[in-house]
Amino acid sequence: MKKTHLLLILLIAVAIGAIISTVGDSSSYENFQIAAANPEREYHVVGTLARVEEMEYNPEQDANLFKFYLQDNAGDVKQVVFYGTKPQDFERSEQVVIVGQMEGEQFTAQKILTKCPSKYTEDEIKIEEFEEHTATGKGPATS
Amino acid sequence: MEYVGENLWAGNLGHAAVLLSFCASLLAFISYVFGTFKKGDEANSWRKLGRMAFWAHGIGVISIVMVLFYIIYNHLYEYHYAWSHASRALPVKYIISAFWEGQEGSFLLWTFWHFVIGVVLMYSTRYWESPVMGVVSLAQIALSSMLLGVYILGYKVGSSPFILLREAMQAPIFANPNYLDFITDGNGLNPLLQNPWMVIHPPVLFLGFASVIVPFAFAIAGLVKGEYRNWLTPALPWSLFAVMILGTGIMMGAAWAYESLNFGGYWAWDPVENASLVPWITLIGAVHVMHAFKKTGNSLPTTFVLVIVSFILILYATFLTRSGILGESSVHSFTDLGMSGQLLVFLFAFIFLGVGLLIYRWKALPKSDKDENTYSREFWLFIGTLILSLSAFQVLASTSIPVINKILGTNLAPPADPIAHYNRWQLPMAVLIMAFTTLGQYLKYKKSDSKVFYKALILPTVVAGVLTIASMIPLKIYAWPYVMLLFASWFSLTGNFDVLRKQFKKLSSAGAAVAHIGFALMMVGVLISSANKQVVSLNNSGLSYGENFNAQQNAENVLLWKNDPTVMNDYRVTYLGDSIAEPNHYYKVFYERLDAQGNPSYSFTLYPNAQINPKMGLIANPDTKHYLWHDLYTHVTQVIDKEAYKDRPKWQDAKTITLKGKGDTLMLAENLVIFEGMSMQLSEEMAQKVKGAEVAVAAKLRVKNVQGEHQLEPVYAIQNGAEFRYDASNEKAGLKISLVKIDPKAETIEFSIAEATPGPKEYIIMKAIKFPFINVLWLGTIILVLGFSMAIMDRYREAKRLEARENVTA
Repeated sequence: MKKTHLLLILLIAVAIGAIISTVGDSSSYENFQIAAANPEREYHVVGTLARVEEMEYNPEQDANLFKFYLQDNAGDVKQVVFYGTKPQDFERSEQVVIVGQMEGEQFTAQKILTKCPSKYTEDEIKIEEFEEHTATGKGPATS
Repeated sequence: MEYVGENLWAGNLGHAAVLLSFCASLLAFISYVFGTFKKGDEANSWRKLGRMAFWAHGIGVISIVMVLFYIIYNHLYEYHYAWSHASRALPVKYIISAFWEGQEGSFLLWTFWHFVIGVVLMYSTRYWESPVMGVVSLAQIALSSMLLGVYILGYKVGSSPFILLREAMQAPIFANPNYLDFITDGNGLNPLLQNPWMVIHPPVLFLGFASVIVPFAFAIAGLVKGEYRNWLTPALPWSLFAVMILGTGIMMGAAWAYESLNFGGYWAWDPVENASLVPWITLIGAVHVMHAFKKTGNSLPTTFVLVIVSFILILYATFLTRSGILGESSVHSFTDLGMSGQLLVFLFAFIFLGVGLLIYRWKALPKSDKDENTYSREFWLFIGTLILSLSAFQVLASTSIPVINKILGTNLAPPADPIAHYNRWQLPMAVLIMAFTTLGQYLKYKKSDSKVFYKALILPTVVAGVLTIASMIPLKIYAWPYVMLLFASWFSLTGNFDVLRKQFKKLSSAGAAVAHIGFALMMVGVLISSANKQVVSLNNSGLSYGENFNAQQNAENVLLWKNDPTVMNDYRVTYLGDSIAEPNHYYKVFYERLDAQGNPSYSFTLYPNAQINPKMGLIANPDTKHYLWHDLYTHVTQVIDKEAYKDRPKWQDAKTITLKGKGDTLMLAENLVIFEGMSMQLSEEMAQKVKGAEVAVAAKLRVKNVQGEHQLEPVYAIQNGAEFRYDASNEKAGLKISLVKIDPKAETIEFSIAEATPGPKEYIIMKAIKFPFINVLWLGTIILVLGFSMAIMDRYREAKRLEARENVTA
C-alpha cells in the first residue's frame, strides 16, 4: 500500500472526527422544558418577549444586568438573565433567540439575537404619508 | 391606466440588455462547444462566432450596469431596486454600494467580472480558448438568468433589477396615476453598509469569486480534450491570482467588520465569512499540488479534485448566502428572492459537469505508482494540502448545519461558542501548516539528502525556540496551544526568511517565501490580538452585583455619566456629550492615559457613533484609536433615550412660599432666590404688559444658580378695577413664579414657585477593547498579497517562455 493511500485513510478518519465534533459542539433549538432537563448543556431557545412581566434594566446601577421574561414556542414563560446591556429597542423585537443554559428557574443567556421588523428586508410603503399629501390637495385624480 | 412621470425607457433598455446578455451567452456557449469538438477551419469559424457572441453578451452586461447605475443615480424611484436600496440623502460614494446591496446587483457584479476575465482569456489562451470559454459562457448563462425575472412554466426565473415599484408590490397608491408625486424618497441603504470598506470590499471579493472559474475552466478543458497535463501551466498564474484576490477580498471584509461592526473583532466565524474562506483554503491547496505536479508528475488527481471542488464551493457559498437557508444563523445574509431552486440547479449543473467528467476520465488520469520519498518536497506539499483540505472541510461541515437540518430534518443549532469550536480544530492545523511551510522549503523535489535536510533545520528550530521563549513573556502567552502556534509562527518566519536570504539574488522566484512570511505574520497578528485582547471597559465602579461572580466577569460594559471621569484600567475616560450629524449621533469620549503614578501622560478623543434607527434600533459604529502596536476600540452599547424625556411636563409641581421683608431668601434644589423688595419700577417687558394699569408693583427677585444670576419680577397690577397677576419665568434659571398675595407695607409676598423638570442626566454605556498587534495582521496580509503577486509574475513569465519554446519547435 502506498503511503499516500494510508494518509488518505487517516484524513478520512480525522474528517469523520470533525463531523462528530461538529455535532457534539452544536447546540440545538429547544424549549425551556428540555433546557431545564439538561442544565449542563447550552441551547438556543426561540420565543417572544413576554410583555406581561416587567423587564429589569437599570443602567445607573448596573449596566451589565438585564432581566426579562421570554415565552418559548411551547408557551412556557421563564425569566432570562443576561449579563450585558439591554439591546436597544428590545421591546419592539418580534422574535428573540437566546443562547445559554438553565440555572435553576432562570435561563442565563450568553447571547441574545433579536429579530426586529426590519426596514431593509421588508417591502412596505408607508400609506399614511400618502394620505396626508392627498389631504393637502396635492392632487389625486380619479383613475 | 397612464401613469404620469415614469421614466420607462430606462427600464425597457435594461430589460433588453438583460435579454441580450442571456441570449448571447447561450450563443457563445453553443459556439464554443462546437469550437471544441469540431476540427480545423470549422472549429475556427465556431470560435470566431463564440467571440462575437461573448462580446455581444458583454455589451449586454455593461448596458445593464450603466442603466442600473443611471436609475439609482437619478433617483428614479419608480424602479423597485432604486427605491429599496437608495435614498436622496445618500452620498455619491454610497450610491455605488447601493448598486450591489441587492442580490441582483451583486450577481451583476459577478457577471461583469466574468466578462472581463473572459475577454482576457479569449485573447490569451489560444489553444485552450474554445473549451475554456465554453465553461465561462456556461457560467454566464447561469448568472445572466439570475437577472431575467421572467416566468417559464409557472416558475420564476431570476429577479430583474428593472421591475417597477408598482410591479413589485401591491398598494392602493398605485391606483393613482400621479403616484410618483408621493414617492419622493427611497428606502435607503442599510446603515451598516454605509462605510468606505463597503465600496471596495464587494468588487474585490467578487473578482476573487469570478477568477476561481479560470482554473476550473482549464481543468474541465483538460478533461474534455483528454490532455491532462499542459493546462496547468497557463492555469497556474490564474489560480495564484484567484487566491490572492479572494484573500484580499476576505480580509477587506474583515477590516470592514473591525471598523464598523460592533461584535468586537475582525472575524466571527459567521457563515457568510466561512462560505468564502472555504474555497480560498481549498484553492491554496490546489496551488500547492499544482506546483508539485509540475515538478514531479505526482498529485495530478488531487489537483483536479481541488480545482473542481474550489469552484463548486464558490457556487455553494453563493447558495448558502443567497437562498435564505442561513436564516438566523448569520448576521448578514441576503434575503430569499425565491431563487433558491435556481441556485440549486446552477450548483448541481456544475457539480455534474465537474465531478461527472472527473469520474469519467479518472482511469485515464496519469498517476504515479511510485511511492513518494519522505524526504521530498512533493510529499510534504501533498500532506500540507491534505491538512488544508481538512481545515476547509471542518469549517464547511460546521457552516453547513442549516443545510444538514434541511436535509435531515434535524434542529441542530450552530455551536453556542463558535470561537472555541473552530479554534479547537483550526489551531492545531495552523500549527502543522506553518511548520510545513518551512519543512517543504528546505526539501528538494524528488529526493533530498536527509542529513542535509536535518542540518538545515537546526537553524530555524533553534532560532524559533529562542524567539518563542523570548517573546512568550512580554506577549503574555502561556497557554500551551498558543505557545505552539507562536513557535510554529517563528519557525515559519525564520525558515522562510532563511530561504528568502538564499534566493535574494533571484528575487523573482521568492514569491513562495514572501507569501509564507506574510501568512505567518497574519497568524502572529491573529494570535496576539485575540489571545491578548483586553476589555478595557471592565466595570469597576465598586457597585456590588449581588447575583453571582460570573456577572462581574461578564461585565464588559461601563456606564459613563456626562462630564464624570471614570478610571478604567490604564485610562481615565470622560464622556463629554453628543452631537448629531444625521443620521449619526456622535458621542465624544475623552481618553487620558494614566502612568504608574496615576497622572495623565497623554490624551485623545474618540467619537464612536450610533444611528438610532427607527426600524433597526441602535446601530453602533466603533471608533478606534490606532497605534503602531495596538488599537483601542470603542463603541457604545446603549445610549440614553432622549425622546422618552420629551413628553415629560416642563414644570414640576408649584409650591406656595412666603418671603418676609427685603433680603429674605429661599433655598431650592437648584436655585437660591433672594427677595430684593418691592418696586414700582418695572422692566420694559413688564411695563409693556401692564400698560394703562392703575397700580403695578413688581416683586424683585434675584436668582442664583450654577448658570449665574438672573432677575425675575412677577407683577401685581390693578387694571380697570380688576386684579391681575403677571407670572415671571426664566428658562435659564428654570423657575416660574406667580404672585399670590402682596403686602407692600410689610414688604411681605406670598407667591407660588415651580422649578423646571431637570433634563435627563446624560450618559452612555460603552465598551472598549484593546487589540494588541493587530497591525501585524494587516501587515501580514499585505506581505501575503505581495508574495502572491511575485509568484504570479514568475509563473506568468514561465508560461510565456514555454509558449515561445513550443512555437519555435512547432
